[in-house]
Amino acid sequence: MKALRYIIALIVGHFTVFKHIFKRPVTLEYPEKRNELNEKFRGEHALTSDENGKLKCTACGTCQRVCPSFATIKIEKEKGEDGKFYPKNYSIDMNKCIFCGNCVQYCPFDAIIMTKNYELADEKKSSLTLDINTLKKNYSDTIINKTKDNRWR
Amino acid sequence: MDYLYSLYIEFLNKFNLPFHLGDFIAMVSFPLLPFCIVAAALIVIVIFLVLMERKVLAFFTQRKGPNRVGPWGLFQTISDAIKLLCKENITPTGAEKFMFNLAPLLAFVPVMVVWGLIPFSSEFDFMSYSVSALLFVTIASIPILGILLAGYASNNKYSLIGSVRAVAQAISYELPLIFVLLSVVVLSSSLNLKQIVLAQISAYPICGWFIFPAFLGFLIVFICSIAELNRCPFDLPEAESELVSGYNTEYSGMKFAFFFLAEYAMMFIMCAFIATLFLGGFLSPFGFYLSEKLISNEFWSNVFVYFEQVFWIFLKTFFLIYCMMLVRATLPRLKTHQLTGFAWKVLLPLSFLNLLIVCLIKGVA
Repeated sequence: MKALRYIIALIVGHFTVFKHIFKRPVTLEYPEKRNELNEKFRGEHALTSDENGKLKCTACGTCQRVCPSFATIKIEKEKGEDGKFYPKNYSIDMNKCIFCGNCVQYCPFDAIIMTKNYELADEKKSSLTLDINTLKKNYSDTIINKTKDNRWR
Repeated sequence: MDYLYSLYIEFLNKFNLPFHLGDFIAMVSFPLLPFCIVAAALIVIVIFLVLMERKVLAFFTQRKGPNRVGPWGLFQTISDAIKLLCKENITPTGAEKFMFNLAPLLAFVPVMVVWGLIPFSSEFDFMSYSVSALLFVTIASIPILGILLAGYASNNKYSLIGSVRAVAQAISYELPLIFVLLSVVVLSSSLNLKQIVLAQISAYPICGWFIFPAFLGFLIVFICSIAELNRCPFDLPEAESELVSGYNTEYSGMKFAFFFLAEYAMMFIMCAFIATLFLGGFLSPFGFYLSEKLISNEFWSNVFVYFEQVFWIFLKTFFLIYCMMLVRATLPRLKTHQLTGFAWKVLLPLSFLNLLIVCLIKGVA
């Protein structure tokens, strides 16, 4: 009786596996096809600028303070001609960043956002520290954040 | 082979060579030609068998399988083979050098020999002896010696455990296989593989096949051949999670390729053997040959029948290989005591029962 039960289980098992041959493969051929990312996806950072191309950042240092992995963000601030502070240099160390999104969440001026770029691998550790020019360029490269970014904040 | 031989001599005599040179050339080159063709065919088949295995397993698990090298990944195995050829041949310091190098050959050469024993069609049976079925089982068990030697000579505990397991498994599973072969011999009253196939001809299309009187035997042989090939679920000799890769842990480059080639070639040959014993070998499942109906010219239809027979045995073989892949995709690995217990307590009594049933059927009919 026990043997019969095993044999039935064997046949059912083989049939279950056999059925899978008619199903569509779930493989995504990565470099050519990509997964659609969530709207809230947290990737590489970018510094936003207004219509005139001026950075929104005032170098207040909130992002520095809320960052859970210390010393990720480094800001050198300077006083501009209009009396407002602006960041002369702003660098994020991606080696230490944990992509928590706190800097974006707490920024009072919406000056920093996160793009959907997740291909950050590099050969050298030093090139993983993003300086201000890279962050500006990231913003001009992204399209999504300019249009409907504010919805999720 | 006589018909093809006469055709070949006729063809050579057209050139009017002096001193009966045509007959001499025919005598020398006629056995050599099929050997070259068959040996080359085996390599090509194995290359695409590896690809088929990867593809089919991928489909069973909803993946795509190799699809980068060539269309549908057709050249994947070829590139893998070139990679293996380019790799360094490493002989470990503690290994027995002579035996270590001998083992891959010992595993591979018998496979090439048994490949010639299969009757591909009523004309293409290259090594036709009166006891070829017995010879097949005998030579097919020699690769185990190569595996034992590989495990011993590697001077590695994983290799040794793997090879000892392989031998224990082969001894257990050879016995039911031979008893089932005995039942087939009872049915066909011949040990010649070609005669076994010809005994399966009947008035109705499929009814003469030995799978019907000896269905139990077919299942036993299928299970035993999976065990002999060291494939899932009987892949204890190569158990990746316990032994690194079993008996071929220390092998690299071309020597590893030999083991790999022998394994897959043996899989194809075993399936061809089962097809010969139970599924009517090169016989057409329709009862008539398609080339007889399609080609009106009598000479060409006679020639094409032989190639059609090759097609039929290959189709049956690939069906069995597909079933083996399905088994591999489904079942998990057995434990050692389950493995040997299954062979001695279940399969061996069942093969006796199968022999009894077959003898009764033969006696009644």
